[in-house]
Amino acid sequence: MDATLEKKKKKTWRLGYAFWFILPAFVLYTTFVMWPTFSSISLSFTSWDGINPDIRYIGLENFREIWNSPRVHNAIWNSILLAIALVVLENVVALGLAILVDKVRWFRNLFRSIFYFPVLMSGIIMGFIWMIILNYNFGVVNQLLDMTGLSAIKADWLGNPDYAMASIILSTVWKSAGYYMIIYLAGLQGIPQELLEAASIDGAGRWKQFRHITFPLLAGAMTVCIMLAMINSLKLFDQIAVMTNGGPGFATETLTYIIYRVAFGEGRQGFGTALGIVLFFIIVIISLIQIRVLRKREVQM
Amino acid sequence: MARIKKPIQASDVILFAVTLVIAVIFAFPIFFNLMSAFKTNGEILRDAIALPKGFYTESFTYLLTETEYPRAILNSAILTIGSIIAMIVIIPMAAYAIERTGNRWTSGVYIYFLFGMMVPFQVYMIPLFRQLKAMGLFGNLAGPIMIYIAGSVGFGVLLFTSFLKGVPREIEESAQIDGCSRMGIFWRVVFPLLGPVTASMVVLQGLGIWNDFLMPMLVLPSGQPKTMIVELFYYVGEFSSRWDMIFAGTTMSLIPVLIAFLTLQKYFVKGVSSGAIKG
Repeated sequence: MDATLEKKKKKTWRLGYAFWFILPAFVLYTTFVMWPTFSSISLSFTSWDGINPDIRYIGLENFREIWNSPRVHNAIWNSILLAIALVVLENVVALGLAILVDKVRWFRNLFRSIFYFPVLMSGIIMGFIWMIILNYNFGVVNQLLDMTGLSAIKADWLGNPDYAMASIILSTVWKSAGYYMIIYLAGLQGIPQELLEAASIDGAGRWKQFRHITFPLLAGAMTVCIMLAMINSLKLFDQIAVMTNGGPGFATETLTYIIYRVAFGEGRQGFGTALGIVLFFIIVIISLIQIRVLRKREVQM
Repeated sequence: MARIKKPIQASDVILFAVTLVIAVIFAFPIFFNLMSAFKTNGEILRDAIALPKGFYTESFTYLLTETEYPRAILNSAILTIGSIIAMIVIIPMAAYAIERTGNRWTSGVYIYFLFGMMVPFQVYMIPLFRQLKAMGLFGNLAGPIMIYIAGSVGFGVLLFTSFLKGVPREIEESAQIDGCSRMGIFWRVVFPLLGPVTASMVVLQGLGIWNDFLMPMLVLPSGQPKTMIVELFYYVGEFSSRWDMIFAGTTMSLIPVLIAFLTLQKYFVKGVSSGAIKG
């Protein structure tokens, strides 16, 4: 009986300290993340312009407009295009880099650092550097094309709607591949060397070893990388802001970017909030799929 | 296991050459940035690939004396350091309480915190902007600091609770018997053991704040210098003919990142692998 009393006393005391320990984080998080997230629901039913204190409710009008607007469809399409291109390219490049860094004989750490460093740069700085490199008149790319006699394929890489998205995709791959490389590298280093040696004794060539041993064992790392790349591509913002501002026209306007443009450029904050809710649901759906896939994989392992 | 040095093969050399070429391509934009910062604007326009002729530092002097960039540097530093210190005070404590009690209430709070990781900033930025104005926090540096702390609660708590699972309770229990308060136990006994995970959080969040763009641009008042990154963004529009100056600005912003990376490399890499769990 004494023991249970002791236990009970201990428990209430513990709850007491836990309350005070959690309180500051709880208050800040509730005030600056959850509260605005929930108030975005009611704001999305208004036609608020951002300034007028008189906020008018217009029901589902914003969502109806999202459903019908060709501009929003274009932005969603751009987001999907960006996500698919980035997921594929970033993972292919990252896996390639990881294999190189894992296999190369000299300066391994230096190479790893070089491939990883762009990850640490701000999207604004990186976007500016690439904007100058891709500049039509003075840029490095067109200058190199001139020097090698390939002037015919010179183009306005950011000013031409046909190339602007591709330029953003390629420069983003340059920036983020190093991040996924680190994850793949950890995966590669976790593969037991004996397994590969045994396979090579049995006569498996390099390609066969990769195809049947390395690649399947990297599946876990790949799932993580694909999911992260997808979420990150939906959140892409800084590069677009500095390199194209969503243009030319609406060529690089993604879902994330249209929210900003509509809310702060065009003074339609109610509509912008409604678009934010659409973005949120897309991210929730992807996250739920991600959790399911990851769980399944854990069971298999 | 001692590795036996294998003789150098042709494949080693080829692999090295391939890696080297790709590394040059990867390093070029950064090299291009550093190089252009020391060229005059004319040199950049005439021949973008050429090395600088002299050591031209005029654009740095101009930026530091004639513009409001120094104020923006100070703002960036205050935001980064202020938020990081506050995070270290607030987040490990919350994670500790959640992990060590693990009852219905604290588990609920844990899930509540994790939910925030799924919400991108663009979803709640418009109401947040309005709310800051109502609270009188619009326009001063305290607003963004609180937003940064709030935004890192989910990820930070996840990081610390998973690390705390591996920290044995025995030491705390003996300190408790010695009559130490919970606060004392946490800061004197537990917190010193959290070094590696704290370093990872500092490095990752610090970098994110230093490089952040959208939030400080929206939340800090116009007409006054904001942060380095935001100012650089404006310069791209305003001084579109002074690339040398913008390159000097980007270089100044990159130097602290480069130094932090070279000295704390281990934590950057660890941070990535822990960030991978985040999702």
